[in-house]
Amino acid sequence: MRAEVLKGHLDGLLLAALEAGPLHGYAVMEALRTGSGGRVDLPTGTVYPALHRLERAELVRSRWSTEGGRRRRSYELTPAGSRALAEERGSWQEFSTTVSALLEGRPSPAPA
Amino acid sequence: MRRVVGSYLAELADQLGRPSAARAAIVAELEDGLWTATIAHQTRGLPPEEAARTAVAEFGDPHTVAAGFGPELAAATGRRVALALLTTGPLVGSCWLLLGAATWRWTGRELPAALGLVVALVGLVLVVAVPAAVLSVAVSGRLSRWLPTGPQVGATAAAVAASACVVGDLLLLGGLLAAAVLTGGLAWPAALLAAGVSSTRLSLAGRAARRCLAARATLT
Repeated sequence: MRAEVLKGHLDGLLLAALEAGPLHGYAVMEALRTGSGGRVDLPTGTVYPALHRLERAELVRSRWSTEGGRRRRSYELTPAGSRALAEERGSWQEFSTTVSALLEGRPSPAPA
Repeated sequence: MRRVVGSYLAELADQLGRPSAARAAIVAELEDGLWTATIAHQTRGLPPEEAARTAVAEFGDPHTVAAGFGPELAAATGRRVALALLTTGPLVGSCWLLLGAATWRWTGRELPAALGLVVALVGLVLVVAVPAAVLSVAVSGRLSRWLPTGPQVGATAAAVAASACVVGDLLLLGGLLAAAVLTGGLAWPAALLAAGVSSTRLSLAGRAARRCLAARATLT
């Protein structure tokens, strides 16, 4: 899947990856890769700045630990992040329903 | 294997700007990720050197990765500078108020009315500096979710606040010189303290303003 297709949705995907529990950056990327059957395969290094941005927006928080002699930074959802994820899911549902209807040439369902 | 990962991290560190503490944290985090990826590829059967090269390729070009951190580093720079100005501002102000009070108490004279202009101008400087610093702190935190240009605004606001502090300190030091000439008597220990504190802040604020503008420039 091309990176530009994911633009604008990456934050939601990262929040969803963290919903199950804290993960470090590489584990987040692996979760996206595995969960999408390999379709989401962004350069791993680009995920880290996005996680930092989410932390600055207080949607995730990080903590440092030591693993195998190395410092590891893991991220977890904050309550605000959980709410943002729920909003993202609702927005995506509405968007995908509307676009699917238009692409398939059938009327869109009325807004809820 | 170590050489491959080390070389990538060295190039990444070189591309990342200031602040150095944030840069070191980024490099440490990505080092962990790279080694985790390398071990994962070795587990899948790749030889060590190839596993490291695959992990490095997976992470992407270090220049691109470093550019991705540009907004975060700019936001961190702006926030640090703004918080430093907000916390040291009252200290600097207190030293000058102490000088005024000590001079009045020691000489029995109030400062010349002409220096009232200096006080008014410093007041104007505060009207610019304080809101700019507060804005920089605000947009680099929770509000950044709704302000995608937060890092640019934050770094610029911090640069404005720091530059305003430079102007304010120059006005205060100039006013001190004028007061020494006009009154011929100052509470010199307090004067030296105030002058020392403002001179130090002036120098640091000037460098901080340049650092914020440099961080801002990387985002364009």
